Amino acid sequence: MWRFLLLQAARLALGLVGAVLLAACVAALAAEGAQSGAGAYFSALLAQLNAFAHLDFGTSIISGIPALGELGLRLPVTLELVGLGAIVALVLGGPLGILLGTERPLRAAAPLLQIVAATPVFVASLALLWLAANVLHWPDMTFPVFADRGDLDSTVRVLALPVLTVGAAGAAAIQLALRRATAEAMDEPYRRGLRLMGLSTLEINRVYLLPQVLTGLCRSFGDIALALFAAAAVAEWVFGWPGAAVLFLKSVALHDWHVAALVLFVFAAIKFLADFAGELGAEALSARSAAT
Amino acid sequence: MSAIGIVSMRSLPRLRAAIRAFGFAGLALIAVAVGLSDVIARAPADATGIGPVLAPPSSQFLLGTDALGRDVLSETLHALAVTLIHAGLATAITLAAGSLFGFIAARLPWKSGVVVRWFAGILGAVPALLLAILFVGIATRDYAAIAAGLAAAPLAFSRTYDRARALSVSRHAEFARATGIQGATLMRRDLAYEFRDTFLTIAARALAAVTITLSTMSFLGFGAVPPHRDLGLMIAAARASYLEAWWVAAFPALALLLLILFARLAAALDEGERP
Amino acid sequence: MSALEITDLRVSRPGAQRAELERFSLSLEPGETVVLLGEVGSGKEAIMRVLGGLPESGYDISGTLKFANADADRASRHTKPHPRTAWLAGAYPSPLNPNATVLSQLSRVLARKLGVPVASGEAELNVVLRRLEGAPPLEALDAPPKNVRAETIAWGFLATAFAQTPDLLLADHPLSGLAPLHARALVAALLAEQKRAGFAILYAATGTETARMLGGRLIVLRQGRVVEEGPVERLATAQAHAYTQTLFKGALGEPPPPRNTGRGEPVLQVYGLEIQPRHKNGESARDSLTFELRRGASLALIGEDGSGRRDLARTLIGLRRAAGGRVVLDAVDVGILSENMLARLRRRIALITGDDDVLDPRMTIWDTVAEPLRAHLRLPRNILNDYGEAALKRVGLASLKPNTSIAALSAFDRRRLQVARAIVTAPVLAVLDEPLRGLDAFAQSVMLDLLRNFRSQEGPALLVITADFAVARTLAETALVLKDGRIVERGALRDLPQNSTEPFTRSLIEASGSLAQSGLPQAGGEG
Repeated sequence: MWRFLLLQAARLALGLVGAVLLAACVAALAAEGAQSGAGAYFSALLAQLNAFAHLDFGTSIISGIPALGELGLRLPVTLELVGLGAIVALVLGGPLGILLGTERPLRAAAPLLQIVAATPVFVASLALLWLAANVLHWPDMTFPVFADRGDLDSTVRVLALPVLTVGAAGAAAIQLALRRATAEAMDEPYRRGLRLMGLSTLEINRVYLLPQVLTGLCRSFGDIALALFAAAAVAEWVFGWPGAAVLFLKSVALHDWHVAALVLFVFAAIKFLADFAGELGAEALSARSAAT
Repeated sequence: MSAIGIVSMRSLPRLRAAIRAFGFAGLALIAVAVGLSDVIARAPADATGIGPVLAPPSSQFLLGTDALGRDVLSETLHALAVTLIHAGLATAITLAAGSLFGFIAARLPWKSGVVVRWFAGILGAVPALLLAILFVGIATRDYAAIAAGLAAAPLAFSRTYDRARALSVSRHAEFARATGIQGATLMRRDLAYEFRDTFLTIAARALAAVTITLSTMSFLGFGAVPPHRDLGLMIAAARASYLEAWWVAAFPALALLLLILFARLAAALDEGERP
Repeated sequence: MSALEITDLRVSRPGAQRAELERFSLSLEPGETVVLLGEVGSGKEAIMRVLGGLPESGYDISGTLKFANADADRASRHTKPHPRTAWLAGAYPSPLNPNATVLSQLSRVLARKLGVPVASGEAELNVVLRRLEGAPPLEALDAPPKNVRAETIAWGFLATAFAQTPDLLLADHPLSGLAPLHARALVAALLAEQKRAGFAILYAATGTETARMLGGRLIVLRQGRVVEEGPVERLATAQAHAYTQTLFKGALGEPPPPRNTGRGEPVLQVYGLEIQPRHKNGESARDSLTFELRRGASLALIGEDGSGRRDLARTLIGLRRAAGGRVVLDAVDVGILSENMLARLRRRIALITGDDDVLDPRMTIWDTVAEPLRAHLRLPRNILNDYGEAALKRVGLASLKPNTSIAALSAFDRRRLQVARAIVTAPVLAVLDEPLRGLDAFAQSVMLDLLRNFRSQEGPALLVITADFAVARTLAETALVLKDGRIVERGALRDLPQNSTEPFTRSLIEASGSLAQSGLPQAGGEG
């Protein structure tokens, strides 16, 4: 177990080092003369790595405040969106993924799912906006007007569409991971072998199949996180949420490289942490399953 | 041999083949429509004032007109052409820089492939959309297709790298080496079989992914540059009026959806999915 | 009252040219043993699947089944086995979940069958294992299947079945892939328990040796029909049907004719090769091996899994560096060669193994045979075609389409394809690693003929790796017997049965011998 933990910690550390390197490469673009030649860029890169080592992440050229401060203001908004979206994704995608992977009749519904999965996030969000405006007659929610959180109705209206957008994208990723894991588990000979020996299908699925499927889901945490953050970028843009993802877009557009680099690092770090947590979860499930 | 090992999978390959054929047929139809766009479209790209402003679909303007009086059908066809061309270029880059390079990197000497794999993993830790936007920010929007292709490459690289590593330590690779088959022959064998059997699948899957990335980039303002609008930019332009005039966004969105759907079907749903 | 009555059981796939099983009837008395013998597709798998309650989906099933004192019922996809029926599965390949421990899974199975908690199931399993002579301790099962030896898992399956105190035991190739020594012990335990408890056994077997060990009644099936039926003792010596004769041809055990290999060039020369045994107390007293293998000669490395035979073979063909001593392969000292040069040297070596996953499933039949020719010899296409076609014809695969993928081939066809690939390389040394493992009697017979033909035509030196003394004796002239990494005996295989005094060698000889020689209790007529 210790060996496993050390290995995963080493992988996480290597990932975070890589993320720092990537962020430094981006932030180095902000240095004067950095884009004039390889030598100048390399010097800027080294200087940037040195700055990171001293926890100096630079200043936003747009707002003038430290990049870390900018991120501190925006990141909680994105994390709220992604967090709520993840819950929706789990509720929608979890049962769907397992059902579609195990039940033959329901696999006929897979083509329908393809139509949903083929829809880009921005198309889905615009469609939701249209439905909210023309069917539910909600007032325009694309402006960043945040009602008093004490007003439940307004809060729901503000949150619903962006959270649903992110949640749908996350659900697609979750159901894919579950279906992949379920498909692998369904093909294994042990299901038939244990049936012949006297166990019921229900017991085999509960005791052996489900942990295997959940292990597969854990191993996909990183991919699911990527899908959620990519969807959050679009949702923040469409619905006007002042989150870190839209901060990244604006920073890139205006060449505010320090801020862009920091946001990039945070997103990459979250992905590596998700992978780490997923591997730990998968290992815990495997260990539990072995003893069951 | 025993009662346990026999599983009936007879129907699955045929179903997959049918789905794949349907997907490629759809892509071919889109390609034909795009090829004939100059004939089918009643106006050149970005031609304003062709008809009344925001006219709904009618016999005169089958898909209606937009806020600048442009024929939505013509604009959708032209935008589809731009999308397809950009997506095709991006797919080629993903295949070369991602899939092919990943396969070769797995066999680089002195474990240098491991370093490249690590680097691809770092890039793959950022959503492809944001990575592509970063590349466009560093270059310009003119390089959006290249950026999208490069952004999708890390994931494609990692997939083929891991597959190639698994193949190189497989039982049959061990058996071949034990009988004097050398690494170069094994690599040629793997390359031939993997790309022969899965090239179309990989290409179709990449096409679907880069189309989504490219159209989203354009929607966010980092992709196509007017007057060469693609579907993403067309939908972005429709944002101001689509709540009242649904057709200005719905039809380009439908065209985009069909392109992505057919590409995924052509990949025979090969993301570990089963029909 | 019969333990099992099958009347006119028919299993067919809609649209198939012939039924998988055609009107099969059987009456099995308590304490009786019936062995179903036949190739893959003979119909025995269909019988076991229906009786086990898991027939192939989409198949048409008709006939009636009657278990013990239950009413006769129409056979169908929904047939459930009688609660007093136990299933005995084969350990190789393992039918268990790869992530959970063997012990937890067997305890759970037992708990469900007995209607007790899982902990009680484990306790019951322990009681039975302690009772069985030769069985491993319970702790040996407390690991995932990949970390437990196949014979240990087989003991676990046996104990699980016995703990259910069944009236009927359905045995689905439980000894497949096991070394004869372990198979012998398991059969002895099975027969002893049958004598004690009086249950009936319906046993699906691949090999005639298993049938001989079990005794009882034998039903030979081919292409869904019964071709012959009768007591094992009678059919083992006098068969009426040509197919049964093929199965009992006595392919195994007949030593190869003596060969004069004195003039053959030395293919493999070993000088003072150090062999490290694995002592439990950590000592490493080393054996030293010196011998010479000439072209046309043969050597068998006999031992169980873990005896060191494979490590030794890998060292001899340069896949593993020797700890000490020298190995000269085809007049080249392998110890001084680089990996690249060794690879070139290994072109003269052919490998035929009992593993079915050594051939690339993506390749076609033609590519598999042609690859060595293209890679090593760079022959023109027409000559390459001639060599390849001739090799496929010799192994009986010429009737299959050349572009058939390996994934679509049966285990037997893949084994033959390995021989075809060996033929085209014209090797100086052929390594046969359990070449008959998992094959049914008919396939074994054909495979042995192919190997003999290959040896006589191509004339390579043979290095045979096996746990089965009979296989070694059929293919090789001399042997090294290994146990725990140490060479316990060496000598001519023709003489070892008479002259060997080494206990381990004697146990291997007896395990591969006939029922009468082994002294196992007779079955069938008792209980």
